[in-house]
Amino acid sequence: MLLSPNAMGPRLRGGLYLTTGLIAAFLLLPIVFIVLLSFGSSQWLVFPPPGWTLKWYAQFFANPEWMDAALASLKVAVLTTICAVALGLPTAFALVRGRFPGRELLYGLFTLPMIVPLVIIAVAVYALFLKLGYTGTLFAFVVSHVIVALPFTIISIINSLKLFDQSTEDAAVICGASRLQAVFKVTFPAIRPGMVAGGLFAFLVSWDEVVLSVMMASPTLQTLPVKMWTTLRQDLTPVIAVASTLLIGLSVLVMLAAALLRRRNEVSA
Amino acid sequence: MSAVIQETAQGGTLVSLRNLNKHYGDFTAVDNINLDIRDGEFLTFLGSSGSGKSTTLSMLAGFETPSSGEILVEGKSLVNVPPHKRDIGMVFQRYSLFPHLSVRDNIGFPLDIRKQKGDARERRVDAMLKLVQLEKFAQRRPAQLSGGQQQRVAIARALVYEPRILLMDEPLGALDKKLREDLQDELRHLHRRLGITIVYVTHDQEEAMRLSQRIAIFSHGKIVGLGSGYDLYQNPPNTFVASFLGNSNFLRVQAQGNAAARFESASLAIRPTGGLREGQDLVLMIRPEKALALSAEQAAAQPLQAGWNEVGATVQEVVFLGESQTCSVTTVGGTQLTLKALSGGQPLHPGSPVRVRWAAADACVYSQWNESDLVKGAH
Repeated sequence: MLLSPNAMGPRLRGGLYLTTGLIAAFLLLPIVFIVLLSFGSSQWLVFPPPGWTLKWYAQFFANPEWMDAALASLKVAVLTTICAVALGLPTAFALVRGRFPGRELLYGLFTLPMIVPLVIIAVAVYALFLKLGYTGTLFAFVVSHVIVALPFTIISIINSLKLFDQSTEDAAVICGASRLQAVFKVTFPAIRPGMVAGGLFAFLVSWDEVVLSVMMASPTLQTLPVKMWTTLRQDLTPVIAVASTLLIGLSVLVMLAAALLRRRNEVSA
Repeated sequence: MSAVIQETAQGGTLVSLRNLNKHYGDFTAVDNINLDIRDGEFLTFLGSSGSGKSTTLSMLAGFETPSSGEILVEGKSLVNVPPHKRDIGMVFQRYSLFPHLSVRDNIGFPLDIRKQKGDARERRVDAMLKLVQLEKFAQRRPAQLSGGQQQRVAIARALVYEPRILLMDEPLGALDKKLREDLQDELRHLHRRLGITIVYVTHDQEEAMRLSQRIAIFSHGKIVGLGSGYDLYQNPPNTFVASFLGNSNFLRVQAQGNAAARFESASLAIRPTGGLREGQDLVLMIRPEKALALSAEQAAAQPLQAGWNEVGATVQEVVFLGESQTCSVTTVGGTQLTLKALSGGQPLHPGSPVRVRWAAADACVYSQWNESDLVKGAH
């Protein structure tokens, strides 16, 4: 094959490595800078840092505002994950197994939030919640995040459900399990990778969501990205770099967990 | 021909299908089927895809609801019983094992659902592992087994709760020929040992012959032939079954009384058949292996036996197949015949004249037929 690295000449292969390396650097360098800056001693975010310190981390963890924001983020992300999977699961079953008119249309509708500009959703949800008096509540955060997280969860579950042979579920039924028992004892374990991946996607979407959150936030309830955004507009402190590092750190952990899980499933399958 | 010729030790009727119908919109998948399944028999639904055999099996299992009609087990209706309460075992084409459970737990699943625990469960699972010879693989996951092993797990899982009826939906279809034949033998022995009623679906007529005591031949949602493989092959009830099972030659003739008919310019003896009009169009069916092709010298040396017919023909093609030879001939009137049994060692050559002989008793007589069946017949 033309594009197989093994069949290429050394010069072509070297070029490929170089290009790949440059792209990776382009994507990763900003993150590396931020992480390094969070440990830098200068309070003006100077690079390279004149010295190394953990004092910004101390400041972050000592400041109740930052801690509240981080905790709020975690709470919203966990609740969003639970709601997205709880709603995504029956939706995926209906879309894969249902035989009703308008099924394709419904699928389009459920995945629409992936295409519609976030700002439009944000304004719409904000207007609604303002009228209902829900802005600034945990409920508002979770609902708005579920809207944008749900497509990822649904698609992930649909993919694993399509790969699942329904005669396996029928086999459980003929063995004596009711349809519900069969779904819980056979189908759910079989599509678990899709459910977990869908949940992780939902978590990540919520964890670093900022556009909707800025609209939903109140002085008493804001998520970490919102707190960073508002802080950034007042002063440029390395504590923001700390918050960024923690934000990225958890995202990376979640991605690693997903990758590990996938590998384990590939081994057992 | 049938592996289990006449083994009629079964009891009475276990399952009855009464006027069973299944429609999908305008399409009739199953068309008014009536069938009695005997207790302890091995019955095969044989047919091409879309013939209604799988839909009928699915209604037996409870995954499809009949549009109308009844399914009775020992006289009790099954139509409103959900599949998980029917106590029927089923083996699927694609094994359908539970991927997250070990072989042991796959087989134990029906017992777990029935809340059977402890020693009793373990003993029964052990017995099943032994039955399908998979003791060594008890702790493996399904994905770590070969196709044949997976299907044996599926059979063990379907038998562990001792259902009276075992349904099998093309269970060997995904396996290669050698393995399929091994498992067919295993399955036949299993059936003999357990005395369970097996309803088996396949499109492979050799498999149906090899396994079944009775075969139900499906076509367009109807059962068009029911009987032992031997009977269906030797005396097909209609031209469809005749052309569907094995190879066949069809001769168009006109009745001359009740035991004779005119074929082209010759007069033939036929099986005595009641209710024939003089000159009525009939079709004779002769299996290739029932007809003999003799050279002119051979024919002169062997006088025609009583009850046999002879017509003249010209050899078109001879194909050597190892244990047999196939010889295509054309009669004076242009009818194509395929013959299997060649008499004597003298080879026949294309273009040479032959005398084709068969016993009148070996030819089936049909007064009704579908033209499309006659076209399919000779190969």
